[in-house]
Amino acid sequence: MADEIRRWSDELARDPSSMIFLKLGEALRRRGQVDLAHKVALRGLERRPHNADAHDLLARISVDRAEMQRAFDEWDMVLRLAPGHAGALKGLGFVCFQEGRLDEAERYLAQALEADEEDSSIASGLAYVRQKLRRRKELGEAAGAGGAARGDGGSAAPPPEPDATPAMAAAGVAAAPPTRGDDPRSLFAPDLGDGGHAALLLDASGLVLAGAYLIAAPAGGTQDIAPEMGAELSGVSDEARRAMRHLALGDWTSIVFETEAATVAMAPVAGDGLAVVASDRITPLGLVRRMLDRVSQHAVDWLAGGGAGGEAA
Amino acid sequence: MKTPFGELLASLIRQRGVSGSLVVSEDDGIVVDSNLQVGVNGPVVAALAASLYRKARLSSRTAGLGEVAFLTLEAEQGRVCAVGRNALVLVTVAEPRANIGLIRVEMLRALGELA
Repeated sequence: MADEIRRWSDELARDPSSMIFLKLGEALRRRGQVDLAHKVALRGLERRPHNADAHDLLARISVDRAEMQRAFDEWDMVLRLAPGHAGALKGLGFVCFQEGRLDEAERYLAQALEADEEDSSIASGLAYVRQKLRRRKELGEAAGAGGAARGDGGSAAPPPEPDATPAMAAAGVAAAPPTRGDDPRSLFAPDLGDGGHAALLLDASGLVLAGAYLIAAPAGGTQDIAPEMGAELSGVSDEARRAMRHLALGDWTSIVFETEAATVAMAPVAGDGLAVVASDRITPLGLVRRMLDRVSQHAVDWLAGGGAGGEAA
Repeated sequence: MKTPFGELLASLIRQRGVSGSLVVSEDDGIVVDSNLQVGVNGPVVAALAASLYRKARLSSRTAGLGEVAFLTLEAEQGRVCAVGRNALVLVTVAEPRANIGLIRVEMLRALGELA
């Protein structure tokens, strides 16, 4: 990849009007060199302001820079230049979902699927959005029925839960579960806020005590892979403990690793426990660490209160 | 003996708070090249960091999260950071006061040289 980037950079330097900037910008974006990718895309667009793929590239870079409105505008421009552009429709669906505009997200993703039926990430994203829409409708109906039954102008429906983006759901990245109240799976929902985040609390054996980790299921809908994640990630913390013993750096306080699909952060809790937070890649690293602090503290309080039994009591 | 990584490692060790930088074979944890301050046990750091990185990489892959781009382990008295490519792992050992953001950027930038 480094060789290709060098080669494409050279080619662009030799011929600034070359379309190679599209490949170069995308490669830089994928390597996490977002600011550089941004410059390449902007320079390319200066020369080719009516190129749909260039606007598409800038939109994707804008998502990486957490500039959702800019991304929306760029994809909107793509659709003007190339109506039915699947990537733009998918991107607009993603942005709308991120902003909680589920109806619009559903509409864009349905159009994207029509434009590109072979992109399984669109299909799973659409399934996820539709599931969320159904859930929202059910919650609305339940809240209405509850208020009427009580006849006391009872409390409004609970605040919306954290959502996974369609792209994240397709990529296997997490969201909090569609449950609430004293269900340990939704224990950390208040700590995570909106967006595609998930949190788990594991015991010393890697078994899940609380939290959930949802991914898009192959057959549609979602599935909780928290037990598998717990088993795998607890092995990492065992390794960290071993390393710290030998390196004489004191007790380990956190591990963060960035992957292609997510940022995963974990910290020891109450001795042998392990708190884990997973967020999509566009979430700034510092924010992930702050969420980990909140989740760890919540886990400590929850365990001190007797865990599920204590909170439910 | 000079290796292709000398310059890369020297640039990392110049960062504030960094006490060691190493290129390590991911498979066996053997040091390929290193630039260490006195007191840093290179072979031990190499073995443990490579093992930790490999474990994280395999866990991430099994969990469907894809390849690991950057890993940082924080402890009470220091940090270990790792990035990997082509069965090599670039490792830095740093003090708690080190600027982790800067080290991360430098290491990701250096990743292309791990070929």
